[in-house]
Amino acid sequence: MDYFYSYLILAEIYVLLGLSTNLLVGVVGIFSVSQAAVFGVGAYIVSDFLLSGTLSFLPALAVAAVACIVLNVLLTLPSLRVSGDYFVVTSFGIQLLATAVFTNWTGGTGGANGLPGVPPPDLFGFPLEETRQILGFTTVAAGLGCLAFWLAMRAPYGRLLKAIREDELAVAAAGKDVLRAKVSAAALAGAFAGVAGGVYATYMSFIDPSSFDLDASVLLLTMVVVGGARTLAGSIVGPFVLLALPQLLQLVAIPTTVAASARQLLYGVLLIAFAVFRPQGLAGERL
Amino acid sequence: MSAYLEVSGVNQRFGGLQALNDCGFAIAQGGITCMVGPNGAGKTTIFNVITGFLRPDTGHVAFRGRRLDGLRPQAIVAAGIARSFQNLRLFVDLTALENVLIGLPSGFGEAPLGALFRPFHTARLDRARRAQAMERLEHVGLADRAAEKVRNLSYGEQKLLTVARLLATGAELLLLDEPASGLAAGALDQVMALLRRLQGEGKTLLVVEHNTRVVQQIADHVLFLHQGHLMAEGTPAQIIADPALAEIYFGGAL
Amino acid sequence: MLLLQLLVNGIVTGCALGVVAVSFALVYATTRIFHIAHAGVYTLGGYLAWSLLAHGVPEPLALLGAMAGCTVLGAAIQHFLYAPLERRRATHLIVLIASLGALAVIQNLIAAVYSSDILEFTIPWASAVVTLGGLRLTGAQLATLALSLAAFVGMLWFAHRTLLGKRIRAVASNPFLAEITRLEPRAVYVTVIAIASAVVCIPGVLVPLDLGLQPYGGVTPLLTATIAMIAGGVGSLGGAFLFAVVIVVLQNLSLLVMPGEWSIGVTFAIFVVFMLFRPRGLFAAG
Repeated sequence: MDYFYSYLILAEIYVLLGLSTNLLVGVVGIFSVSQAAVFGVGAYIVSDFLLSGTLSFLPALAVAAVACIVLNVLLTLPSLRVSGDYFVVTSFGIQLLATAVFTNWTGGTGGANGLPGVPPPDLFGFPLEETRQILGFTTVAAGLGCLAFWLAMRAPYGRLLKAIREDELAVAAAGKDVLRAKVSAAALAGAFAGVAGGVYATYMSFIDPSSFDLDASVLLLTMVVVGGARTLAGSIVGPFVLLALPQLLQLVAIPTTVAASARQLLYGVLLIAFAVFRPQGLAGERL
Repeated sequence: MSAYLEVSGVNQRFGGLQALNDCGFAIAQGGITCMVGPNGAGKTTIFNVITGFLRPDTGHVAFRGRRLDGLRPQAIVAAGIARSFQNLRLFVDLTALENVLIGLPSGFGEAPLGALFRPFHTARLDRARRAQAMERLEHVGLADRAAEKVRNLSYGEQKLLTVARLLATGAELLLLDEPASGLAAGALDQVMALLRRLQGEGKTLLVVEHNTRVVQQIADHVLFLHQGHLMAEGTPAQIIADPALAEIYFGGAL
Repeated sequence: MLLLQLLVNGIVTGCALGVVAVSFALVYATTRIFHIAHAGVYTLGGYLAWSLLAHGVPEPLALLGAMAGCTVLGAAIQHFLYAPLERRRATHLIVLIASLGALAVIQNLIAAVYSSDILEFTIPWASAVVTLGGLRLTGAQLATLALSLAAFVGMLWFAHRTLLGKRIRAVASNPFLAEITRLEPRAVYVTVIAIASAVVCIPGVLVPLDLGLQPYGGVTPLLTATIAMIAGGVGSLGGAFLFAVVIVVLQNLSLLVMPGEWSIGVTFAIFVVFMLFRPRGLFAAG
């Protein structure tokens, strides 16, 4: 039962990440392989505050969210200035740079050894130590994230973003501030990723660079592609399906040495298959 | 007294190509002005300059006596000038109504904070905006197609929709890039009648048009552009009667 | 002396990555596909050569065999992935995603077959050291320099002296022309990607002679190469090659002041500077 709970908790954390990636990739239409880097920054910020005892969980989470909003806006700004293809380079570069920082800046991140012993989340001095309590918390957090995404998408704001994805120039000609809309979408995506990072670190109690590397970013992108772009359903379905797949792989007898590459191989196959045969994913709109 | 729209001394180079060459003209309020000239005369380029999509190398644009050059497109729409595109640039995955909604001036709920923290207020105001957008659709005769995705509309309906989206901005000077091109006779008459009606409602129109029959029927004034320069202007009859212009227009185009 | 050694090391590796940049630029200029999977083709080349050598195939034949394998892989990606996507009118974003998927598949198949640990080449002449007035050069470096320059010259010859090459350059330098003339896409695209794949195999084999092979080792070279292409100006093969050399030299020189883990930061900083000041590149046509 605990095993199932931990699947649900992780899936709910990844729903927040799925919403974040969907906002950038599905809604605004930017190719991104660097959302795991933002996720990681959120995780390390919360871990550092909690391990040093300077801030308690919720304030630390707020700081992480703000930091990731700023970071994601800065990271996305080049995509507003240069053509989409050049942003591919930016995105890969940022992810590789972030991995280098996570791995080599031992002072802040523990380097390749990671940060052990991150305390569990606490709400107003009441620590959430049991799995079920944490599940309750992540359910509320993912629920709020979904509500925010849904409200944003059905508001004039969501309509504006969808129009921008189709034709930026036409939106500018209609008198709208394209830049502001895109920046705010990047900010929203950053807030989701930062919060997800903080919750992830406190739930796992141990983080290391492998959770925030290029493979992790590819996983996030795969979640959006498989789930489906621009819909709430797609953002929820993607993480739940993608996190269940490794469990299925375990049923097939694969030696543990190749398990990681088998998983990434599967993500690659899914990316190709959905791109060719089902660009709308399981429950979304066409990418 | 300064003109309604005044373009003067605009130069624009693209690499080795002088797209606009000391281009200047003025437009009076309330009429339909047609801009004609062979392909590559710089008609779309001057549209891009007026509406802030291109910053010209030199020259300036003034509207109601106020300098516009250097402003961003959204500021120029706010000042009262809006444009359509030759290749329509509709949002084909959105509905007809949603396309018009994007054209309406920015309202509450178009920024994320308002949308997230005052959802009921956002929804209420959006309903009002939908009604407003619906009026624009009725205006061009597309009310019954409001909920249809644009990719399912006919080409003629799409052309009308670009005018509805343009009207939604509330701009008083409308720049239309070939609103009648590619239309069959029935749809053509519909568009021409619509342009006349807009003029009657107080809009000023600057129209790029290739079809001489359309120019003759709707234009109060004609600007003839050649090689990025205003070569001649006058009434449709004057322009069409000039053999030198006809030579450039038809000789140059063929 | 250390400075000079780092400079020379940088020039050698830079020439190799210059070939990656030129081959990538050729594909990009022709097809407008941002061919991320090119990193996978690069990686596969090294592994194929390693396997052939392990079976006793002589070095030149191993290189040719690996190039043949890469050619097939590149052509297959175009034929079975990019062409169907274009027929389905896939958006640009979807093509990027599919290319990333292809990269993931190639890398992880390699990891599953060869394991993800570093594989070393054991070629005596490659690790032999030649000393030239205090400068130490390995046999691998000499081979890298010679073959990379040969490959670059070959690419220039192809682009400037063959009919196909001329048409590709014409289209690459003028997007308006591209819209009108649209090179007969199917056949040309396959040919271009096949040639680029064969060429990228050369640095794919040579660079790991010193550093060893890793399944995920293609991403960073591709990043450097794409930055060089953008900095040099899309459509300028010489610019792409030159900037690859400049970037890798700067990376190497940065070792004087900071540890090697941060060289990705140097690469990226160069890119950011270019994006801010010259978004179209230094040698962009037009």
